[in-house]
Amino acid sequence: MNRHRQIEHTADLGLEIWGDSRSELFAQAACALREVIVAEAPVNPRETQEIEVSGSDDAELLVAWLSELLFLFECRGFLPSECKLEFGENCLRAQVKGEPFDPQRHPLEREIKAITHHQVLVEEKDGQWHARVYVDI
Amino acid sequence: MPIKLQQIDPCRWRIPREGKMRVEGLVFADRAMIEVLQKEQALEQVRNVATLPGIVGRSIAMPDIHWGYGFPIGGVAAFDPEDGGVVSPGGVGYDINCGVRLLRSELEAEEIRPHLKELADALFRNVPSGVGSHRRDLSLAPHETRKVLEQGAAWAVKNGFGSAQDLDHIEERGTIAGADPEVVSERALERGRNQLGTLGSGNHFLEVQRVDEVLDSEAANALGLFQDQVTVSIHTGSRGLGYQVCDDHLKMMLRAAAKYGIELPDRQLCCAPLESPEGRQYLAAMAGAANFAFANRQLITHWVRETFEQVLRTGPSQLRMSLIYDVCHNIAKWETHQVEGRARRLCVHRKGATRAFPPGHPETPELYREVGQPVLIPGDMGRCSYVLVGTEDAFNETFGSTCHGAGRVLSRHAARKLARRRDIPADLAAKGILIRAAGRATMAEEISEAYKDVSEVVEVVRRAGIGRIVARLVPMAVVKG
Repeated sequence: MNRHRQIEHTADLGLEIWGDSRSELFAQAACALREVIVAEAPVNPRETQEIEVSGSDDAELLVAWLSELLFLFECRGFLPSECKLEFGENCLRAQVKGEPFDPQRHPLEREIKAITHHQVLVEEKDGQWHARVYVDI
Repeated sequence: MPIKLQQIDPCRWRIPREGKMRVEGLVFADRAMIEVLQKEQALEQVRNVATLPGIVGRSIAMPDIHWGYGFPIGGVAAFDPEDGGVVSPGGVGYDINCGVRLLRSELEAEEIRPHLKELADALFRNVPSGVGSHRRDLSLAPHETRKVLEQGAAWAVKNGFGSAQDLDHIEERGTIAGADPEVVSERALERGRNQLGTLGSGNHFLEVQRVDEVLDSEAANALGLFQDQVTVSIHTGSRGLGYQVCDDHLKMMLRAAAKYGIELPDRQLCCAPLESPEGRQYLAAMAGAANFAFANRQLITHWVRETFEQVLRTGPSQLRMSLIYDVCHNIAKWETHQVEGRARRLCVHRKGATRAFPPGHPETPELYREVGQPVLIPGDMGRCSYVLVGTEDAFNETFGSTCHGAGRVLSRHAARKLARRRDIPADLAAKGILIRAAGRATMAEEISEAYKDVSEVVEVVRRAGIGRIVARLVPMAVVKG
């Protein structure tokens, strides 16, 4: 089930994401990012990438996580589909399954320049996680 | 906290000093623009910038201002190192040295109209635009990428892309001094390596245009522009390399701001003193990314010239596609300006703003010394763009700066919704404009209605005296990423 949506920003795009846990929140964030790039084109879990990122708090960690996925897309042509996440002290380790970007099967929507720190937010309330992050187009 | 605004004249609004603001804000806009601006957070961002250490003069916003990250887009702010002034990667933006260059030709619009379709297709093919596309005949060894960072457009010319005369018509002659590839991360170099000589998507474009109207014949003559002439605009920047340099240094600056005790109203404004190791390092990396962008536009220029020659089956001497000028829109630069009666060496941040130096300024190219530095203002893909020249008033009031474009008014989502039931290529074709775009969403998100009317923006610039309008250009063929 999709638990993310795109939100308005005059110049760029915002993402709003929900999850029952921090892991689900971050996994949903990866899907939200992928949809900005290739919309709802199906992505198969054919390859695995290992990722480790750090950040001083959850908000920084979210920016670092999405920035890493953006780098993998841009430089290795990798699109994520499923994520297995493990959180440590100020860090996140992930096994990300996905497949190589194929313009025939994954028509490109638009390019993302960067994941910004602008009004980035990760919050937890009664076990429900919520995040907001803006991407620069 | 609501923004206090005081109208100074029909085109100027003051945000008076209050709270932690160190200087006042100055917004160039007409009343209708101000009403739109009050609905978003751009004015708050002008106020936030005014709180940064060492800011001098005013925190300025151009009439194309819109909501950015940290700094507003359309913002100008100058900082004095002797006053603890800072440099902020957010004040330059992710796309370091995003900019525009304008090529002239000896062709008239009617001469190319029969070949326009072929020309649009060939430009779309020869200038890579989508993700992952790049010229197979250009591959850069890592040590060569470092040279691009040090030398900028000069590297491209040295390698056979364009002529030495091109360099005379680029801001900073296409090479910002002080670039140090050693402070650019491996990751930034990797993102950049395959993206040199690519247009990118979003608002980046390549446009074949026609001079629709000469509005100042003296200045147009000096710039070599005439009625119905074919021109080409190239709008792109430092691609993934610049985005990564910004990203890397934002992280560093978040720590630096805490270390130097700089209070930040917004994380994205993170910064460090100009004289600190972090500040110097960012400026050296930024100069490298800016040089990469100059080289990028220079390579694309070469392929545009080649494409015109191939399609029109003619040679360079008939086409005479020379460079009018190349300006940066996102940059921080060392410049000398008069503040409170004395000349001060300042670091001027222009984020979505253009340098607009006046006639007689030593950095204005020789050829334009009498009319002022050319300023290139792209509009949207369905309306028009403008050529201006810098003025003495701009030099005194805005650190020699003016607007940079139309400025968005609609979110991407709203633009897509509006475009949903329309056939955009057909709508443009009805106006005589051909479009080729790589990204599916790009075309819908870049419709004219998503932007302010650039004519209204430059009209405010003209009335305020911070730019002199030379000519209006209309698109004939648009290539988008």
